[in-house]
Amino acid sequence: MLTLEWFASFGFSVLRLSTPLIFVGLAAVINKKAGMLNMALEGMMLTAALAGVVFAGLSGNVWIGLLGAVVFGVLSGGVLGFSSLSGKTDLYLTCIAFNLIAAGGTVFVMYLLTGEKSTTSAAIKAYTIPSLKIPLIDRIPFLGNIVSGHNLLTYLSFISVYAVWFFLFRTRLGLRMRAVGENPQAASSVGINVKRICYLSFLVSGVLCGFAGAFMSMGWVSFFMTNMTNGRGYIGLSAMNIADANPIGTAVSAIFFGFSDALATTLKSQGTGFPTEFIEMIPYAATIIALVLINMVRINQRKRIEKGQKREGS
Amino acid sequence: MKKTRRIETMVELVRILAAIGIAYLIALVTLFAISDDPVFIIRQFVLGPFSSVRRIGSVINLAIPFTFTGLCFCFMYAVNKFNLSGEGIFMFSGCIVTLLAITLGRFGIPAGILIPLLILCGALTGFIVSLIPAYLDVKFSANIVVVSLMLNSILTFLSIWVLKYFMRDPTIGSLGSYVLPDAARLPSVFGKFRIQAGVFVALAMVIIVAVLFYKTIFGYKMRVVGSNQHFAKASGINMTVTIILAQLVGGAFAGMGGACEIMGNYDRFKWTASTQHGFDGLMVAVLARRNPILVPVAAVLLAYIRIGADVVNSKGDIPIQFITVIQGIVILLVAAEEFMGRFKKNLIYKAAQEDMMKDRERETREIMADAEATEAGKESVE
Repeated sequence: MLTLEWFASFGFSVLRLSTPLIFVGLAAVINKKAGMLNMALEGMMLTAALAGVVFAGLSGNVWIGLLGAVVFGVLSGGVLGFSSLSGKTDLYLTCIAFNLIAAGGTVFVMYLLTGEKSTTSAAIKAYTIPSLKIPLIDRIPFLGNIVSGHNLLTYLSFISVYAVWFFLFRTRLGLRMRAVGENPQAASSVGINVKRICYLSFLVSGVLCGFAGAFMSMGWVSFFMTNMTNGRGYIGLSAMNIADANPIGTAVSAIFFGFSDALATTLKSQGTGFPTEFIEMIPYAATIIALVLINMVRINQRKRIEKGQKREGS
Repeated sequence: MKKTRRIETMVELVRILAAIGIAYLIALVTLFAISDDPVFIIRQFVLGPFSSVRRIGSVINLAIPFTFTGLCFCFMYAVNKFNLSGEGIFMFSGCIVTLLAITLGRFGIPAGILIPLLILCGALTGFIVSLIPAYLDVKFSANIVVVSLMLNSILTFLSIWVLKYFMRDPTIGSLGSYVLPDAARLPSVFGKFRIQAGVFVALAMVIIVAVLFYKTIFGYKMRVVGSNQHFAKASGINMTVTIILAQLVGGAFAGMGGACEIMGNYDRFKWTASTQHGFDGLMVAVLARRNPILVPVAAVLLAYIRIGADVVNSKGDIPIQFITVIQGIVILLVAAEEFMGRFKKNLIYKAAQEDMMKDRERETREIMADAEATEAGKESVE
């Protein structure tokens, strides 16, 4: 079991399963930097996943499917923005309600279109976004097997990490967004339109969720399935939380969660004597444990700083 | 001041009714648009739940778990913590209660002792489980929504594991536990309506919670913490204890709901997926505006819509999931401050203006009266 080949395929599946988590984590980063905790990523992703499959199936073109997924991701971001910013609904409730709507609505729409209630695999022709073999690198023995041959969106997710970092820390708009997140009153006093920036952050995170959803239904598998995101929205949110909304750190912790996901999948398929229920718990338990550990470290650090300040003061 | 509050209560009521009305309208329009025989389907949706004694009974039966989880979320909501673990607790406590019932059933304990004991165990399960997100939130500020949702998934798998390895009945084809002993079954009451006796437990709990909320120190503390944290801290309320305790008590109600549901409506435990009653409870609490007395009303309303959808689902071509969408829309509308916000502001403004006019009129009258009096005095002196 523990051959080099096994490790290579395991590494490959880690990267593959990290892809949606990275996208979602980055979406959470964009929202968090604008001062909002977006819990509705799950629903946004689910909406986009269904939209991708439907548009690809209707048009017969996988790229139109991808476009559809992104458009619907952005639309759901707009709905969230409208409800929480213009309607002044509590953001938590908005997000919980939106997730409910997405969970029920996707099944409803799927049923209307296909007459099925659990998956579109039979009714809509499957399309997948093509994979990419990187020349030269795929010849490197071990590494090539891990890094090369992934879905296009996997590579895009890594590019997005850089793009989001660049947007937040190297552009004027990013600076404004961070200013709004730090202190909306101060930002507004220097003439930044806070509401518009918050809307924008919802729309951008919609794009990222669109990619995540498209990967779920047109990369990971080639059909839509009821509740196929399975808590990944929340796991991505935790990845952001752990990294304190730093895009690069978020990607790293997303890969850690991808690792726990891959571990669960591999253990399950290999059929150890361990009850599968406990194996399936791994990603969720890992999320809680990681959240607690990182916050513990952070609180300790803060205490130490406070102590130091007191000593200096006295 | 009093007037403003009255207007606020009134607008609140109108708002909730309007939100439900709009959502109901959306439901009807959707049904009209997608169904082959809209008139029939809509009649089924609206009148279906009343079409037989049995169905009215099932509306009440469905409202019972909604009441329990609604009460649970009243507590979570009262201290402003979105602890969603009620969802997982409901299932897990159902599972634990079944396990206990099957084990204890062998000793021949009479129903009069066993049933209260099992309900208590369900409550205890909820109490303990909801400690996890509550404690992690207060102690490590781990996001409570994320932790509780992850916990729900874990609890679902845990319940399935317990079901598979400790109480699976191998004689039936599908995955299910052994049959519950007779002593652990809540009887049906009201003859033909076949309402489970859990309804009395639920109503008793509503009264207890209402008293707890509005007549005890703990309830007052809880509401203060929920409405203004700074004020609570300044007035010396122990925030940590209040916040955690409120969630624990809330969890206990969800657990009780799971226990009553299993003992009242099932002959064996066979849930293999989460029941979604937790999120229904959230909606009930939102509709009831975290007022425990209104919880049963909201629960019956939701149950009515649900059963209507069930009838449509069995009779026609409409999947039941569209109710979830409607539910989300209702939550959004009820929670939206701006929804009819201007209406409220106008009313309050108008009332204030009227008050001011009245005050001014009175003042003028008084001044006039004073002036007249002095003039009269002058005249009499002269």
